[in-house]
Amino acid sequence: MRAAAFALKRRQWEPVAFASPALVLITVVIVFPLAYSFYLSLLNFDLSVGPEREFVGLKNYSEALFRDQRFLGSLWNTAVIIVPALILELLLGLGIALLLNRPIRGRPILTALLAIPPMISPVMAAMSWRMMFGVKYGAINNLGRQLGIIDVYFDWFSSPFLSIVAVVLVEIWHNTPFMMLVLLAGLQSIPPELYEAAKADGAGPWQRFWFVTLPLLKFTMAVGVMIRMIDLTKIFGLIFILTFGGPGGATETLAFNTYLVGFKDFRMSYAAAMSYVIILGVLVLTLIFQRLSRSREARAV
Amino acid sequence: MSSVAAVRTQVAARRTVRYRVQEWAAQGFTYLGLTAALLFFLAPFFWIVTTSLKGNEDFFAFPPVWIPAEPSLTHYTRLFTHASGGRYFMNSLVISSLSMLAALMVSLPTAYSMARWRFGGGLLSTTLLILRMLPAIALIIPIYLMYKWLGLTNSYLGLVALYTVVYIPFAVWLLVGFLREFPVEIEEAALIDGCSRLGALVRVIIPIIAPGMAVVALFAFIATWNEFLFAIVLTGIETKTMMVLVTSFTSGGVDTFYGEASASVVLGVLPAFAVAFFLQRYLVKGLALGGTKG
Repeated sequence: MRAAAFALKRRQWEPVAFASPALVLITVVIVFPLAYSFYLSLLNFDLSVGPEREFVGLKNYSEALFRDQRFLGSLWNTAVIIVPALILELLLGLGIALLLNRPIRGRPILTALLAIPPMISPVMAAMSWRMMFGVKYGAINNLGRQLGIIDVYFDWFSSPFLSIVAVVLVEIWHNTPFMMLVLLAGLQSIPPELYEAAKADGAGPWQRFWFVTLPLLKFTMAVGVMIRMIDLTKIFGLIFILTFGGPGGATETLAFNTYLVGFKDFRMSYAAAMSYVIILGVLVLTLIFQRLSRSREARAV
Repeated sequence: MSSVAAVRTQVAARRTVRYRVQEWAAQGFTYLGLTAALLFFLAPFFWIVTTSLKGNEDFFAFPPVWIPAEPSLTHYTRLFTHASGGRYFMNSLVISSLSMLAALMVSLPTAYSMARWRFGGGLLSTTLLILRMLPAIALIIPIYLMYKWLGLTNSYLGLVALYTVVYIPFAVWLLVGFLREFPVEIEEAALIDGCSRLGALVRVIIPIIAPGMAVVALFAFIATWNEFLFAIVLTGIETKTMMVLVTSFTSGGVDTFYGEASASVVLGVLPAFAVAFFLQRYLVKGLALGGTKG
């Protein structure tokens, strides 16, 4: 008994020792660089000019937030992509999840097949669609011509509006299945007795959906939307391949614009300041997300 | 009397018929909707695969050839001989495998410490969540400058180290969940029998939670395979990954190099296809925390 108690006694150094390799690595490779980047954002370091750097305080931030039309434009573009993408992903995802939740044959295989797009990288998703949108050899123009819907080879990336539509379409294709999986899990956690009770009280299918499904699915929907929103504020690879920010900067998003400033213009300090604006946005969204998922856990208990 | 009964059965029968018709219509609509969804979500894959197998005549033909009559692997061989496709495929494979193993090895003890001793409490897990959601663009600027100074750009080591550490928060997060479900009694039995903590972790816990670790490992593999921003900034001509290779097909206007481009996309989505079925049960949890993003 005594030996056992000794063996089980927690030794003070053990938790720290077990956790430290990862924590040290995170500090060196993530936390320190982030701190360095913040310091950098207070300088006027520009690699295309030279190695000289001076302390300029918050000048980079005030320039980005109040003067830089391109940065403010990228903020707007990101919102213009996020809002329709989120709404459509939610509606489509909910629709497919509701269909999958009905008594059907082959649900596991159907779910697995539908879940493939979010597993591939945004780069590959964008490349597939870029080729599908191709003017002469793309599947969309060719199918359209074959069916007689269009009679010219159409350039889908010629106008800002259509380019945004294309970006939103690819994003929907890529991530609606994620929303579908989240909502399907939510639907399956609703106890069937509730539906039986509603049925016994004379509720029709629509009433059951409005008064049982939707209220119980609200939190799941909010969590799914938050996750997608956090992800979409960082949208980069899809833009890089599909439009490269064009035409005329119409699809330049926050992350893409920051990339161009940092690795095309080499204005390191300014790019660091821009990246901190993105960090701030993501941080706020992440904390909201955390509170949301905690409150859901609290409700479930 | 009998006529009333007859009317009643008639009404009942009509009701059942109406109910059945409604049911059939609903089921028909369900399958129709799901078929449409399948078409929308899988058609691009179908088209990319068939395009990559087309010969040149099929490629330029109108009306378009949707399924090549004589599939050929020319684009794949050209990709391998002319565009160093083989090298970049191997790069992706090696970098992803190494990062996956390293991330798992470093994350497990940390997750154990958090699960068993509540190390770090809520603060550490919140910090990990925030680090998990951290935009890559915020990290790449200082990392690029540091790597240039250290001479780590265009090196396997630099990329593997970065991927490993960036993936730790996610791996720890998932592993804590698996470890919390692990019964303490089994571990205590091993400790009483004279096992050290580390010994118990390696000899008792790892074999039992191996399936959970495999899930984390597969997500880590896919995430590093899919990662793009770090790769495009930090890799050079020798260390490019598949994601970076694809960008070389976007430079010459919308219509160039379809054959090799589609072949490289097929190779680039291969791992995702391979593991999508294995990970099905864990997809929601994994994808929610950005499991497939680097």
